[in-house]
Amino acid sequence: MRRFLALARTAALESLAEPLTAVLFLSGFAVTHLAPAFHYHQFGESGRLARECGFSVLLVFGLVFATGAAIRTIGREIESGTAAAALALAVPRTLFLAARLAGVLATLVLFAAAIACATALAHGSSVLAAFARSEHGTSAQAWGPGLAAGVGLTLAALMLAAAANRFLNARFCRTACLALAAAQPLALVLAALCGRDLPPSFAGFFAGLWSLLPAFAALTVGCAVFVVFAGALATRLGASSVTAAVALAVVSAFVYPLRAVLPDINRFWLVDRLANGGVLGWPEVLPVLAAGLLLIAFWLAVGAILLNRRELP
Amino acid sequence: MTGEAVVEIRNLAKTFRDFWFRPLAAALRGIDLSVARGDVFGLLGPNGSGKSTTIKLILGLLRPSSGTVRLFGLPPRDRRARVRLGYLPELSCLHPFLTARETVRYYAGLSGLDRRTTRERTDELLARMGLSAQANRAVGGFSKGMARKVAFAAALVAHPELLVLDEPTSGLDPLATRDVKELIRKLAADGMTILVTSHQLFDMQDVCSRVAILSQGRVVGGGTVADIVAKSTDPRHALEDYFAAAVGATSEEKA
Repeated sequence: MRRFLALARTAALESLAEPLTAVLFLSGFAVTHLAPAFHYHQFGESGRLARECGFSVLLVFGLVFATGAAIRTIGREIESGTAAAALALAVPRTLFLAARLAGVLATLVLFAAAIACATALAHGSSVLAAFARSEHGTSAQAWGPGLAAGVGLTLAALMLAAAANRFLNARFCRTACLALAAAQPLALVLAALCGRDLPPSFAGFFAGLWSLLPAFAALTVGCAVFVVFAGALATRLGASSVTAAVALAVVSAFVYPLRAVLPDINRFWLVDRLANGGVLGWPEVLPVLAAGLLLIAFWLAVGAILLNRRELP
Repeated sequence: MTGEAVVEIRNLAKTFRDFWFRPLAAALRGIDLSVARGDVFGLLGPNGSGKSTTIKLILGLLRPSSGTVRLFGLPPRDRRARVRLGYLPELSCLHPFLTARETVRYYAGLSGLDRRTTRERTDELLARMGLSAQANRAVGGFSKGMARKVAFAAALVAHPELLVLDEPTSGLDPLATRDVKELIRKLAADGMTILVTSHQLFDMQDVCSRVAILSQGRVVGGGTVADIVAKSTDPRHALEDYFAAAVGATSEEKA
C-alpha cells in the first residue's frame, strides 16, 4: 500500500505541476463562470447554455488532460529512466501502472468536482438572470453575485498561488491548480450567501449541484476510461502514436464492433437527458458507471500485460 | 568477504532484436560472473561492452536471451530479491518537480518504509550528503553533482544489502568524484556489497576489491585488485595497464 501511495502521490503532484494542467484548470473555470454572461443565447431553456458549457469543458479539457497526463506519467517516465529506477526496486509493474494512473485520476476527479461546482454556480446564475430579465427587464443584478464570486475567487486563487510562489517558494502550477479547484466550491457558497435575498433563492444552487452530479459522475468516468486507455498504450507507444490512437478511438468508437472495447465517450455523455427540465437519477447512471469501470479494468489489464512484457533498456 | 554469492551469472547472453525479431546487436555473448557478499565489484569495459546491459539484466529490467541470473539465489524479478537492493542509474533519473526531500521520501515509499523510518532516514541521508540546506529545493534546478547526491541518497534509503551503481562518477567534477569514492569506501566498510560500473579506472582501482573486464560482450579479464596491483610493474597504473592489455588483446583477436 505504501508503494502504491508513493507512486500515486508523485503522479498526482506531477500532473498538477504541469503548466498545461494549470492552463486547463484556469481556462475551464473562467469559461464556465463567464457562460451566464451570454444570456441572449439560451437554446430554448434558461441555464442550458451555462450547464452544457460546464459539461463541454469537462469533456474537451478532460480528454486533453487524460491524453497528456497519461503520456507524461507513463510514456515519459519510461523514456526518462525514472520508471526503470522504480521498477528495479520491489515494485511490481502492474502496481506501478495502476498507481501512476490512479494519481492522474485523482487530479481528473479534482478537476471534475471543481467544474461541477462552477457549473452549478453558472447554471444557477443563468436561471436567476432569466427570471430577473422576465420580471424586471434586466439581468445584471441577478447574475452579478454568481459572476463576481466565480471570477473573483478564481482570480484570487491565482494571486494566492503567485504569493505562495514568491514568499514560500511553493511550485506555482501545483499551488494554482489546488487553489483554483478549492475556489470553486467556495464561490458557490459565497454566491449563495450574497444572493440569499434574491428570488428565486440561491439555495437552488446546491439543489442544482445535486441534480448535475450523476451526469458529471458519468462523464468523469468516461474521461477516466481515456486516462487508462492512453496510459495502457503509452507503455509501448510514443506520445504522437498515443495521441493519434486516442483521436482514432474518439472517432471509430461510433463503429459498432469497435464499441465493445474502445472507449466511446457518447456512452458517458448523459447531459442531454437534463434538457427541458429532465431529471437524471443515480439508478440510470449506475449501469453507465459500471460499464466505465469494466472498461477501465480491461484497459488496465491490457496495459499491465504490455508493460510486463516490455524490456526497459 | 564471506564467499556467499549475492549475484551469480552463468553463461548469460543478450541479443537485442528489432520489431520483426531480427537480431540487432549481441550485447552479451555468454558471460559468467559472481559477486560475493561484502565485495566492491567493478564491472569495467569500453563503451558498448555490455556493462549497462549486464546491470539491467541483474535488475530484471531486461530478459536474458540465454543463460541465468540469480540475485540472492532468486530470479532477478523476484520481489524478495529486489527488496534487498538499491540502484543508482547511469543518469540521475529524478523527477525534476520534486524537492530533494520529496525524492528521497518517494524512494523510501517505493521500498515500503514506514512513515517514521522514512522521515529519519531522509533527514539522515540528506545530512550525510550535505544537502540539508537544499532539501526543499526542486531537484530540476540542481547541478549534476547535487542531483547525483540526491540519487545516491535515494538508492541508500532502504539500507540495501546490494548497491548497484551504474557509472556513479560520470560527469562529476574531481571534488564530487572524491566524495563519491569516499562514500563507496564507507559503505563497503559497513559491510554493504557494491556492484559498480565505470570507465574511470583510477577511481575503480581505489575503491574496488574485485573487477571483471568486459569487451564486446565477453569477460576478457578480472580478478582481485590486490592481485592485479601485485603483478604490475607500475602499481599506480596497474588497473589501467591490465585493462588495456585485456581489451587490446580482444580487439587484436577480432582484427
